[in-house]
Amino acid sequence: MRTAAVWIIIFPALVLSVPAGVQAPSGMGAVALKGATIHTAAGPPISGGVILVQDGRIRSVGQSIAIPGGAKVIDLAGKVIIPGMIDPHTHIGAFDADDVNEMPQPLGPENRAVDAIHLGVPDWQEAVAGGVTAVITGPGSGERMGGQSVMLKTFGGDLKRRILKEDGDLKMAVNARNLSHISDIYGNFVKAREYLSQWRQYQGGDRTGSPPKKDLALEALSRALRQEVPVRVHIYLVPDMLSFLEMKREFGFELQFIHSVESYKIAGQLAQNGVDCICLPLGTRYHETPDQLRGIAVLHNAGVRVALHTDHPVIHQKWQRLNAAMAIRYGLPEEAALRAVTINPAQMGGVADRIGSIEAGKDADLVVLDGPWFEPRSKVDMVFVDGVLAFDRTRAASQEGR
Amino acid sequence: MMRRHVSSSNSFRAGGSHWFLGVFLASMMLPAAGWAQSTLAFRGGTVITVTGSPIEGGVVLVRDGKIIAVGKDVSIPADAAIVETGGKFVMPGLVDAMTHFGIRPFGLNSQEQVTPENRAVEAYYPFGGFFKGKGGVEADNELLYGGVTTVYIAPGSTQLIGGQGAVVKTFGASYHGLILRDPASIDMALPPRPPREGTPPGRMAALALLRKTMIDAQEYDRRVREYNQKSDDDKKDAEKPPRDMANEALQRLLHRELPARVEADFVEDISAAMRLAEEFGFNLIVDSGIAAYQLKEVLAQKKIPVVVGKISHPFAPEYFTYPQELHSVADERNAAWLTRAGVKVAIASYASSFGGKATQGRWLLLEAALATAYGMSEEDALKAVTINAAEILGVDGRVGSLEPGKDADLIILDGPPLGLKTWVERVYIDGTLAYQRGGRN
Repeated sequence: MRTAAVWIIIFPALVLSVPAGVQAPSGMGAVALKGATIHTAAGPPISGGVILVQDGRIRSVGQSIAIPGGAKVIDLAGKVIIPGMIDPHTHIGAFDADDVNEMPQPLGPENRAVDAIHLGVPDWQEAVAGGVTAVITGPGSGERMGGQSVMLKTFGGDLKRRILKEDGDLKMAVNARNLSHISDIYGNFVKAREYLSQWRQYQGGDRTGSPPKKDLALEALSRALRQEVPVRVHIYLVPDMLSFLEMKREFGFELQFIHSVESYKIAGQLAQNGVDCICLPLGTRYHETPDQLRGIAVLHNAGVRVALHTDHPVIHQKWQRLNAAMAIRYGLPEEAALRAVTINPAQMGGVADRIGSIEAGKDADLVVLDGPWFEPRSKVDMVFVDGVLAFDRTRAASQEGR
Repeated sequence: MMRRHVSSSNSFRAGGSHWFLGVFLASMMLPAAGWAQSTLAFRGGTVITVTGSPIEGGVVLVRDGKIIAVGKDVSIPADAAIVETGGKFVMPGLVDAMTHFGIRPFGLNSQEQVTPENRAVEAYYPFGGFFKGKGGVEADNELLYGGVTTVYIAPGSTQLIGGQGAVVKTFGASYHGLILRDPASIDMALPPRPPREGTPPGRMAALALLRKTMIDAQEYDRRVREYNQKSDDDKKDAEKPPRDMANEALQRLLHRELPARVEADFVEDISAAMRLAEEFGFNLIVDSGIAAYQLKEVLAQKKIPVVVGKISHPFAPEYFTYPQELHSVADERNAAWLTRAGVKVAIASYASSFGGKATQGRWLLLEAALATAYGMSEEDALKAVTINAAEILGVDGRVGSLEPGKDADLIILDGPPLGLKTWVERVYIDGTLAYQRGGRN
């Protein structure tokens, strides 16, 4: 584990990347966001509601919240508020440093995205401006096992504090039906199972002999076997999905599909097996047909937990909201689409206790819009991350005519 | 008094095999003179002409494929077939001012840097799967599905001078019937990129090569003119300049019969294109123009239009292959800033078919909606995908707005044009039903 001091030494520029005029989150006075229609992603919309924010957290939310004296009141009548959006699979910050893939190395479960994360690109602030406040960013799909993704907020001065989950998954990729892909992955899970049992034997015994040699790759796979992290796999085709279902049955890991192009064809089976699907409705690179686009609603209706992703830089990080719009256009109910970019990815990342919905006790990650949250023509007016105003359109507009 | 009502059941749908079967049959059965010889009245909807104010409960009257009247109090002739549009929105078919539709990626570019003689229509084949299943028909149907009725088809942009682009419709009685204007312009691109293999020249050498090319064209033009001015007797003794396809194409630039479209994103490249245009006296259109807002005053002053890419994805090529230094220059407000400065702006898809981007034409209205989130008025955003595009392509006499005398290319929407949940219900091209929403679309 790394200490905060190490991060500060490695990334001194981070502190400078916070826009001037932003206050520190802790010790901040209470702020009341008043009058907007609030889509909490946890219950029905609240019209003319109040969100009380203090010390970076949501203190309370509802229609009749007493606003304490001394609280700064921001009048948002006519506006719409949603939770900060979350992208459960992207390569923001990893791509730009050219570290996204470690090809031709085919198997690198020990690789950690957190070791390559690059914050010195404008993509992060653009993501914030688009209302995206947290991402799971990770290895590319050039290897069968790319490594471990990191979940972090898109804004905040200190990387240590921005990290929500350091080694958040085990990222894999099968691009098409390929004889070696599945057997490579299967073989390594078998090895990891043996490795795990060696360790259990050692730890359960009198510990007189020497312990098994620590193997970073098998260590990473073991964490999936112990269900500490999910297996997240870049996958298109049904036959590959069926192979993974088989492995899930044998090894018992948590399974989440990324891209999930054909997943709608086996929606019932995926729901039954508790497999999550992460979809990319804007992914025109993959020849999304109307059927595939409607597939997201099919998955939802079958009871599959669905999230949407940009796969930045495939689709820029900032268009997560447009992803939701496209899913709605093709039949996903508005509320389900909201959950697909907020609470569902929070749950998939294992951080739903902190982010993903507007509920008392959660981080104050909020997006204020000037119209229906999903309409392309609506504008993001303000974005709060940990209660800090991270984007303000009126300030951004001052760059007009540059 | 009997009026024939067009019902949805007896009109054919542009989906799957019916589409090209329909075109095929139509091309055999229709008289050569015209292909929609009837009177149609679109009645009751909100008519967005894009050149005037929207008309609530308006009528668009169409005869023999042409619009003959638009307004609130248009008297409908007794023989007109009525299309009820109450509660719907009627607007001109969309014009996509830059695509590579119907041209296979390997047909887009030549090996050399300068090929003004190449013509996009020679490689244009929108029906890749004619009689063979779906294939290319999907691509065109894809456009109708998004309400696009006219597109510019361009050569690729990996050459300094790629060749001549054309304007085509997305539906027609015959292959030749699709072509609206050919050639429409000469396509260029800066900075130089490798056409296929090898190292491209740098900017200085590229501009020198372009200048040399234009000087050759001027020289050719002079020799041809001098020869033509000779008396018949003198011509007998003089040597006739041999025909040169490349120089003939460039002659049309020099005579301002065709504009040059230069795909240029960096300030220095847009500036270089402007210098060339001034030195050699040709009309210029800037394509893509990611940094165009930084030159908006001079573009407005020189009346140089800009055809921007998608608001969500301004990079004409893939994001991956694009110079990193442009990422921080790109701004979604480009189109709005240019428009406000007085530059004529079109928003185009830059889509190609048979490649990864074949489906992007269908998002044109959503891109226009997105433009309004970044400072454009609804009116300007709609113009950017209709009349502005038509004017830039030089086909505004035929398409781009709902006005008497223009082709009856119109789309019927089930809601406001810029709404997320709005769908194109019907597309009429030359007064003929080309697409109707239903089934798997």
